[in-house]
Amino acid sequence: MPVLWLSAVITVLALFGFYFGRRRALQSAGGDSRLLHSLPSYYGSNALMKSVVPAFGLMILWLLAQPLFIENRIAGMIPESEISEGSNVGLVMSEVRRTADGLSNAVAGGFLDEEELQSGGAVLSDLTQRLRDAGQVVTNEISQPILDAAQTYRSMSGTSQLLMTVAVILVALVGAGWGVSESGRDFRARNVVEKGILAILIAAASVAILTTLGIILSLVFNTIEFFSLYPAIEFFTLLEWAPSFSGRGGASSLGIIPLLWGTLYISFVALLVAVPIGLFAAIYLSEYASPRVRGIAKPLLEILAGIPTIVYGLFALLTIGPLLVSVFGKDGLGWMGGGRAVMTAGIAMGIMLIPFVSSLSDDIINAVPQSLRDGSYGLGATRSETIKQVVLPAALPGIVGAILLAASRAIGETMIVVLGAGAAARLSLNPFEAMTTVTAKIVSQLTGDSDFASPEALVAFALGITLFVLTLALNVFALYIVRKYREQYE
Amino acid sequence: MKDMRILERDVDATAIKISARDVQVFYGDNHAIKDVNVEIQDKTVTAFIGPSGCGKSTFLRCLNRMNDTIDVCRVEGDISIDGEDIYDKRVDPVQLRAKVGMVFQKPNPFPKSIYDNVAYGPRIHGLAQSKADLDTIVEKSLRSAAIWDEVKDRLTAPGTGLSGGQQQRLCIARAIATQPEVLLMDEPCSALDPIATAQIEELIDELRQNYSVVIVTHSMQQAARVSQKTAFFHLGNLVEYGETGTIFTNPEDPRTESYITGRIG
Amino acid sequence: MTDASLPSSSENRERVSLMAPDARTQKRKAAERRFRMYGIAGIATGIFFLIVLLVSIVSSGAGAFQQTFITVSVYLDPAKLDKNGNRNLEEISKVSTFGYTPLIQQALFDKVQENGIETPLEKSKDMKALISASAAAQIRDVVISNPDLIGETVDFRILASSRVDGYLKGRVQREDVARDKNIDAEHLDLVDALQPFGIIEKTFNMDFITGADASESRAESAGIGVAMIGSFFMMLVVLVLSLPIGVAASIYLEEFAPKNRWTDLIEVNIANLAAVPSIVFGILGLAVFIQFMHLPQSAPLVGGLVLTLMTLPTIIISTRASLKAVPPSIRDAALGVGASKMQSVFHHVLPLAAPGILTGTIIGLAQALGETAPLLLIGMVGFIASNAPDGIASGLLDPNSAMPAQIYEWAKRADPAFYERAWGGIIILLGFLISMNTIAVILRRRFERRW
Repeated sequence: MPVLWLSAVITVLALFGFYFGRRRALQSAGGDSRLLHSLPSYYGSNALMKSVVPAFGLMILWLLAQPLFIENRIAGMIPESEISEGSNVGLVMSEVRRTADGLSNAVAGGFLDEEELQSGGAVLSDLTQRLRDAGQVVTNEISQPILDAAQTYRSMSGTSQLLMTVAVILVALVGAGWGVSESGRDFRARNVVEKGILAILIAAASVAILTTLGIILSLVFNTIEFFSLYPAIEFFTLLEWAPSFSGRGGASSLGIIPLLWGTLYISFVALLVAVPIGLFAAIYLSEYASPRVRGIAKPLLEILAGIPTIVYGLFALLTIGPLLVSVFGKDGLGWMGGGRAVMTAGIAMGIMLIPFVSSLSDDIINAVPQSLRDGSYGLGATRSETIKQVVLPAALPGIVGAILLAASRAIGETMIVVLGAGAAARLSLNPFEAMTTVTAKIVSQLTGDSDFASPEALVAFALGITLFVLTLALNVFALYIVRKYREQYE
Repeated sequence: MKDMRILERDVDATAIKISARDVQVFYGDNHAIKDVNVEIQDKTVTAFIGPSGCGKSTFLRCLNRMNDTIDVCRVEGDISIDGEDIYDKRVDPVQLRAKVGMVFQKPNPFPKSIYDNVAYGPRIHGLAQSKADLDTIVEKSLRSAAIWDEVKDRLTAPGTGLSGGQQQRLCIARAIATQPEVLLMDEPCSALDPIATAQIEELIDELRQNYSVVIVTHSMQQAARVSQKTAFFHLGNLVEYGETGTIFTNPEDPRTESYITGRIG
Repeated sequence: MTDASLPSSSENRERVSLMAPDARTQKRKAAERRFRMYGIAGIATGIFFLIVLLVSIVSSGAGAFQQTFITVSVYLDPAKLDKNGNRNLEEISKVSTFGYTPLIQQALFDKVQENGIETPLEKSKDMKALISASAAAQIRDVVISNPDLIGETVDFRILASSRVDGYLKGRVQREDVARDKNIDAEHLDLVDALQPFGIIEKTFNMDFITGADASESRAESAGIGVAMIGSFFMMLVVLVLSLPIGVAASIYLEEFAPKNRWTDLIEVNIANLAAVPSIVFGILGLAVFIQFMHLPQSAPLVGGLVLTLMTLPTIIISTRASLKAVPPSIRDAALGVGASKMQSVFHHVLPLAAPGILTGTIIGLAQALGETAPLLLIGMVGFIASNAPDGIASGLLDPNSAMPAQIYEWAKRADPAFYERAWGGIIILLGFLISMNTIAVILRRRFERRW
């Protein structure tokens, strides 16, 4: 664990920096801290900051850039002949990596001799078998170019690690030294440290941006790669979803429409359950319930929101599914083939969304000014007339926003559909049939055995970007409506 | 008990419309109104004046049981309209409020069209037999509230788009459309500019022809301008009640005098 | 202003006493009652679903905390376990579990004979259906750690097979057995006969809480303990990363950020990130941490990183709310005695907001603890983590599972015996979530300050 050790070394250096920075500052003031510009600990912190921040920053940058740099170099080494039909550089690169890891592990486990490897003494055909014996995953026979590439990969990684260790420790030392040398009675340590802290705060706030950027970049790049292997037109227009299991493209039909249909259908069923129940619950809680009833019923409903989705998934699979089958299945009405169906997942998801709809609507109904209610009561309207004709119309935009947010939740929900909805993609109107969704297919395409570089796996990123865009659009729109609504009554 | 219709009724200007005896109001532990006795006449404008927090609005809201909507509020004593105790168990506040309309401090038009705002009351109470009937009620009410000429071309526009004074007159039209017998007004001009205030005051004087109007106001000048009777509230007590002229020129109680002359309040 | 046609109060309506509601009012009152009922029905349905959910969790999962054990006295036959008789550990280790299985079957068969129980099962091999496949491994481990036991008769408490366990718990019915090739009606008769002797008994199952997952065929020995440790390490990563980053980001946005485009961008970003489906964070983790940075698959460290990114928006939103709740007068007071802006925030605002921040963090952690979807994509399912990690580094980097992922794994398996484990796992998971939320509520109640 060299990174962990390296971190420990940096920390120790930084603590030394703190100690000496503080001491030097105090010495410069003859031990009287009142003569210093800032509190003594600020001088220490200054040195600490100057060693820790650049050192860790360099380390993180290095760790991020190293694989990029090395892979670029190695990719150039691989001859065209190695890239077989239907494959690409990415596939070969992952083979190189696997081989390199396998070699390292085999050497560490004592199954292989480093000397032997370096001298090229190991026989190629023998090597594959020996790696397998060592318990390493080797898919294809190792060829000479791959072995060379793997060896280069290993040596470059090793050199890079070493260089990084030296560079990082050097930076930490220089930083600490700089911080300590600055310490003196007239040095404005507090201002410098505070500027540093502010920079750290800004960096922390930017993590959110980086996350979004990471999401977008990883989705976009992989989707572009997918579309280079599979025509985009077919992805968006094909009415069939049938990935081939061989992991080699060509035979697969990867049309998103059946998945989108399943997603929207299940979400629709979920909203059909959640919206009436949630809305009426919210109306009762905000307009009728006494504070006591509200104090009991509201938290009880909100428990539903705190239950993890895996629980709803299991509930769908093992409770709702069998229950529906006993009514609509072979022994009952005969509409339902198995426990997994649109209804099964939809009902479970609906239950999950009840508190979501109810607490959002509750907030929104409460934001309707009391004066409107008074106006209506003052004319002799009953409560229900007031609610139906004054409060709800006034709250309508907000409630629509809340329902859209719930819809976006439903579309992005994964565990319930993975367990409750089934695996077959189908374009059907029967809600008792098994269908599948975008999220469920993302899971199955990325957890299967197919290689990351095959279109069958890469399609998950195209599905992911569709899901991301869809939910983002819904969210932005819903948040906009809700904000407009709130401004209206503020 | 079913047939308790009052067929003959004295519509003489001095008839007692509302009478309150020993009314006490509590907000939780707070005793907000103490022993109020007052008799309000039909076809008269009665003004409630007094410093803020004296309970005049609270008392006004007792007259159509608007305080029912507040959980912690409790009313004791007798308040009767046309001789019927409005706090009787058999009385439905919904029916009561149709008979005793209310206009609030802040104009509160519903987020609907001008037409629907006015038609709201007649619709829920089933006052119109047909669409034409409803149109007539809406027009009459808007005319009565002296806003017809300003809005007749845009009845489908939202009521919230009107100016403050227009909104308040719309709210008065809305209240009139329900055809109440008593109109309660809770500081109806406090959110309005002087021109709009003048229009509303003129309107209140018109309304006196047909309704018993009770108006709460913080402005003594307004009370003097629009009312025939005035009640002065102070710290939850009804201090003095009488002819407006007498109250303002020759008050009996020293507290009233202090308030009128600006020493308290 | 004057208009002759004022609608007078007596024009359209007859005067009706307030005491007697007219027909229309009665109809309206009925509509009112109906509407109110809808509201009550809405709440009642919601609470009904909650109760059904909880009842089905408890009733289906309680069984996982009990397990059927068989007490047998196994004669550790030297002829089978140590053919050469020299107690050489290496040679003993060569005897696989297959060598032990007949001994256990014989031991149980002897017990049956000893107690004079009549059964049509006449061979010791017929006992196989009653005994868990893990029993042989259990005894082998004991023998290898203490070879001197060979040749002696030792009492063991071994797991019964999952069918027997299911029979005692009512999961396996006699009518199911006809179609089951693993167990016959005679076996069940024997189980019934053995129970009064205390040879087969159902007791509290600590192994479920502390143990590791087991393979498809051994539902009876599967436990959630190792996955719990996996979850623990993930939560450690989430706490260590998301609390400081979240608080720092919130402080910046709430106290220092100028009103400009960049700040707006960050704010919009955070609001939207909070609503991004969790599976998308899984894709991010897979693409960035595993494919790009080559961090190990299935490692709690990666799981923790992904969950950190997912929880950050929640923590930032709640932290900002608690910072906002500290009144500006506190900041002014600190600035007024000559503190810098930074000092006023760190010395005064932050400590006052701490309970709120802590509450938000705990709720964020609880959310992360129950999250499953992103973990599927970074490979935290589909394998069996058999050993608990032996240190922080291995805890963070060795492949492991997490509680919700383990539950998912069990839910996918074919044997219904695993469903009971899944529900049992949910009970434990919910136990953690409830305690975390309770702590959060107590913290809020106790330290909540109204300004």
